[in-house]
Amino acid sequence: MEATFLLTLLITFLASFIGYELISKIPQTLHTPLMSGSNAISGITLIAAILIYPEAGESQLLKIIVLIAIAFATLNIVGGFSVTGRILEMFKKND
Amino acid sequence: MIEIILLVSSILFIFALKLFGRPSTAHRANTFAMLAMALAVFSAFNFDFSKYDSAFYITIVVSGLLGVLISKRVQMTQMPELVGLFNGFGGGASGAIAYVELSGSSLPISDVFVAIFSMVIGMFTFSGSLVAVMKLRGKLNNFSKKLADIFSVFLPTIIVIPAVLEMDDLLIEFIILVALVAGIIRVAVIGGADMPVVIAFLNSLSGIAAMSAGFIVNSIILIVAGALVGASGIILTLLMCAAMNRTLLDVLKGGFGGTAINNEYDKDPISTSPEDVAIQLSYAESVVIVPGYGMAVAQAQAAVKELTNTLKDKNIEVKFAIHPVAGRMPGHMNVLLAEVDIDYEDMFTLEDINSEFSSTDVVIVLGANDVVNPLARTDEDSPIYGMPILDVDLAQQVIVIKRSMSPGYAGIANPLFVNDNAKMLFSDAKEGLENIIKSFELV
Repeated sequence: MEATFLLTLLITFLASFIGYELISKIPQTLHTPLMSGSNAISGITLIAAILIYPEAGESQLLKIIVLIAIAFATLNIVGGFSVTGRILEMFKKND
Repeated sequence: MIEIILLVSSILFIFALKLFGRPSTAHRANTFAMLAMALAVFSAFNFDFSKYDSAFYITIVVSGLLGVLISKRVQMTQMPELVGLFNGFGGGASGAIAYVELSGSSLPISDVFVAIFSMVIGMFTFSGSLVAVMKLRGKLNNFSKKLADIFSVFLPTIIVIPAVLEMDDLLIEFIILVALVAGIIRVAVIGGADMPVVIAFLNSLSGIAAMSAGFIVNSIILIVAGALVGASGIILTLLMCAAMNRTLLDVLKGGFGGTAINNEYDKDPISTSPEDVAIQLSYAESVVIVPGYGMAVAQAQAAVKELTNTLKDKNIEVKFAIHPVAGRMPGHMNVLLAEVDIDYEDMFTLEDINSEFSSTDVVIVLGANDVVNPLARTDEDSPIYGMPILDVDLAQQVIVIKRSMSPGYAGIANPLFVNDNAKMLFSDAKEGLENIIKSFELV
C-alpha cells in the first residue's frame, strides 16, 4: 500500500517535471491556445465524476452535485478542445 | 486492458505537449490531446456502461453541445473571459467531487486531508474565476473594492459561526463557504491589467484541484493530467510576473494601479494627422507595430492587417513587437493578429526585437502604454521601475495612436509621448488606422 503511494508520488513528480520542461519551450505566440488547451485537460476531472457517480446515486443531493461536476467538466473538455482547435487553425501556415 | 489504454493515453498527452512547441505543428497537438482525453474518459467506464442512468448521459450530451456552441460563437477578443470561465468550471468540478467524497463515503484519514485540500482549491478557483470574468467584462469597475470590503467583514463573521453554534455536521459546508468567499475577495482587489497573472494563476489552481481529486479516486491519469495543467499555469504565472518585474505575492495582494499618481508633463506633445503619418510611413523602410489592450478594445485588428498589406505592397518591412503582458491574458495579442491572417513569423517577443528598435524607421504604438514607458529604465522611484519594456523610444520616429494623454494602468505619465522623436495621433485605434490607410490612397 505504501509502495503504491510512493510510486504515485514519483509519477506525479515525473509528470510535473516533463510538463514543466516541455511547456517552458512553448513560444509566447501560443500562450492563449495553451491556456484554453489546459482548460480542456483540467476537465479530465470528469473521470473522477464517472468513478463516483454510481456510489453517489443513493443520495439525491449528492447525485445532483456530481451531475453539476459532470456538466462543468464536459463543458471544459468539449469547449476547451474545440476553441483551441479553432485558434490553432489560425496559426497553421496556408502555403 | 484498462491499464494499456491509460498508458497510451498518458503517452499521447506528453506527445501532444511536445507538438505544441511549434505553431506549425500545434494543431496536431490538439488532435493528440483530444484522443488522449477520449481514451482516458472511456477507460473510466471500465466497459460497464449500464451502471449509468439517463440523467448521466443527458448531462454529458447537453453540456457537450453547449461547449461546442460556446466555442464556435466566442470572439477572439473574448478569449480571456472564456478561459477565465473554464478555469472556474474546472475548479468547481473538482471541488464538487471532493465535497461528494467527503460527505458520502468513509474515506481513510489521509484522503480526508487531500479531499479538503482539493475542495478548498477548487471552490476558491470557482468563485475567484467568476469574479475575474466579471471584471474582464467591465461589470465590476467601481464595485470591486466595495465587494472586497463587504466580504472582508463577512469572512471573520462566518468563521466564528461554527464555534458559537457547535455545528460539527456542517463543518464541510462551512469550509466551502470560506473558500468561496476567499476567492471573491482575493480576485476583487486585483486590477484589470494584472489579469494575465490572475488568469494564469487560476488556470494552475484548476489543474492542482484536478490532480488532488486524482489522489482521492486513485486515478493516475487524472493526477498526471492535473499536474500538467498545474505546471503550465505556474510557468505562465511566473512569466507574466517576470514581465512586470513583480512577485506573485505582490500581484495577489492587489491594489496596484488604476489611479493616476502623476500625469504631469513638462512640455506639450507634438500632435500629428493621419495624412502626415501616411507620408512619414511611405518614406520608411522598416516599421514596427506595438499592439496593446487598446487594439482589442477598439477591435482594430482588421485595420492593422490592412495597413500591414498597404505597407508591404510598398516593400516596407513590417514587424510586430508583443510585450508578454500586452492585453488581458498571455498571448492575447498574438491570437488577435493571427485571426486576421498576420503571419506568426512577423510577431516578435521583447527579447527578440528590443535590439532592433535603434535601426527601425517608424514605430507605431497602438493602444499600449506602460509597456513602452522609458521610466521603467530610468526612474528608480517609478512603480514600474525595472519592468522589462519595449525600447521603442530608441527608434527614429515613434507614432502613438491614443485617444488622450491619460496614463496607463500604473497611473504614471509616459515621457515617451513628449519625446522629440514622438508624435501623437489622438484617435481611437481603429479609426486612426483607417484614416491613415485612406490618406495613403491620396499620397
